[in-house]
Amino acid sequence: MIEPAEQPSSSRVPGVCIPWEERLKELAENVEDEQLLKRVWQDVDSLAYTFIWHCLVSF
Amino acid sequence: MRKATRFLEKFSTVACFLTFLPWKLRSVVTYSLLGCAAETRLSRPPGMLDLRRGDIFTKQRPCSSPVSWRPQLCLGNLSPMAEDMERLYAQRLKRYVTAMRNGKPDCVPIRPFVAEFTAKYAGFTCQEVTHDYEKAFIAARKCAAEFDWDAVVGNMVYVWTGLTEALGLKYYGVPGIHIPADTGFQYREPPEEKAFMKPDEYDALSADPTGFLLNVWLPRVSKDVVAPGEANSERNNLALIKGGMAMLSYFSAFPKQNELLRTESGTVSAISGILKAPFDIIADKLRGYVGLSKDLLRQPSKVLKACEALMPHLLHVALGGADPDKNVPIAIWMHRGCVPFISPSQFDRYYWPTLKPIIEEIWRRGHQVLFYAEGRWGAHLQSFAELEAGSIVLHVDQDDVFEVHRAVGDRFALSGGIPNHVLSYGKPQEVRDYCRKVIDEVAADGGYIMDASAIMQNDTSIENVRVMTDFTREHGVY
Repeated sequence: MIEPAEQPSSSRVPGVCIPWEERLKELAENVEDEQLLKRVWQDVDSLAYTFIWHCLVSF
Repeated sequence: MRKATRFLEKFSTVACFLTFLPWKLRSVVTYSLLGCAAETRLSRPPGMLDLRRGDIFTKQRPCSSPVSWRPQLCLGNLSPMAEDMERLYAQRLKRYVTAMRNGKPDCVPIRPFVAEFTAKYAGFTCQEVTHDYEKAFIAARKCAAEFDWDAVVGNMVYVWTGLTEALGLKYYGVPGIHIPADTGFQYREPPEEKAFMKPDEYDALSADPTGFLLNVWLPRVSKDVVAPGEANSERNNLALIKGGMAMLSYFSAFPKQNELLRTESGTVSAISGILKAPFDIIADKLRGYVGLSKDLLRQPSKVLKACEALMPHLLHVALGGADPDKNVPIAIWMHRGCVPFISPSQFDRYYWPTLKPIIEEIWRRGHQVLFYAEGRWGAHLQSFAELEAGSIVLHVDQDDVFEVHRAVGDRFALSGGIPNHVLSYGKPQEVRDYCRKVIDEVAADGGYIMDASAIMQNDTSIENVRVMTDFTREHGVY
């Protein structure tokens, strides 16, 4: 199984540009439906990851 | 010679072949933003013949296409002609997949990687198919239909320079801008001192590959994107917006292209997803070949660590574009890992240990990988043979396809091996003779897919490609 190389805790795992945990720190404590916010944040964030990595690999 | 040179220049870019969008991206993009269903897989219509019953052949030649091509822009209920196409598609898919699994299908499948050849055949310039992907798509579909091929890539020219120009990428020679309009696009590796990654930046790359790409690499490869902290302008912001939207537009067009290939001509989309070896990424896009060669001597452990850091990301990208049905392979475009670019010991230390685990993981998840092994890889066949039988399809470029077959043909299906110079400049009888020898010796027990050694560009003879196609149909029946 392939694991990410040893990286500082602030770095990014595959598929992620800005981790949800970082975004969560910016939000108020009493946000509603956090799972919805998390899922959509991660989905859209993965588009940015796709963009930058395909710039490298495909173009 | 031009072909070989072109390949070296084009190594890092011709690659892709994201015939499907990365799956997550596709679901978000296709259904949320565009608001339309562009599913590539049609369900089998009621009453359609079942492949497993073996009643799939047409009344014409066993392997021939029964219907002439015309562009199809709308899909409705399946007409009798559409049912014929579905039947033909199923027949070809079974043929192609069987051969890739090293089995013996009904006849030798034909899966030519035709790039700028499609422009020549369809009457476009290289500039037109490179800068207007709709024209590239039309040319690919016209060829697929009129040559009776089993599988093709939706756009083998692949690099859409509308995107690369929007993003301001520096490393392309664009037809009509930097090079003549009827010359295929070129990848231009910068001189060593202008490499996109400096020799002392390995630690930064290894620590956070995605961050390095966002903050260091992209601003360097783009004329318009600036690094964090630098003064920016409207033009800078627009480059990122336009680049992102262009990629969205381009990738979103592939499912429709695959659907049209299927419904217009019953042609299979040959590959899905892209992979590159970590070592190739560093050679092609970061340090350059010369810089990396020096790094292998001066700071070898940092090179290895960087390759290892790239591995999980390249695996992620590859799986993101993989065929969910697990029929067609992920393609890897292999460049700098072969003799004479690096030594066998360097291959053993850097290239293979950081590629092999990716291939094994992809296979563990049920996907084959097509090794589009550009150049000569005969020195590394023993390494390839370490992989589980059937896990890859090995495309033969400059090696002797007969020797490769003798070495690993019992483990992996092969494709290619028809020399491009024969297809471009040989006489039709030479094409027949070479194809006959390959079919008789390499394809005798199955496990072979007919193709040229390297991608076919606009120097390829239309007549000779037709000869290769027709002869394979006539002689390649089991």
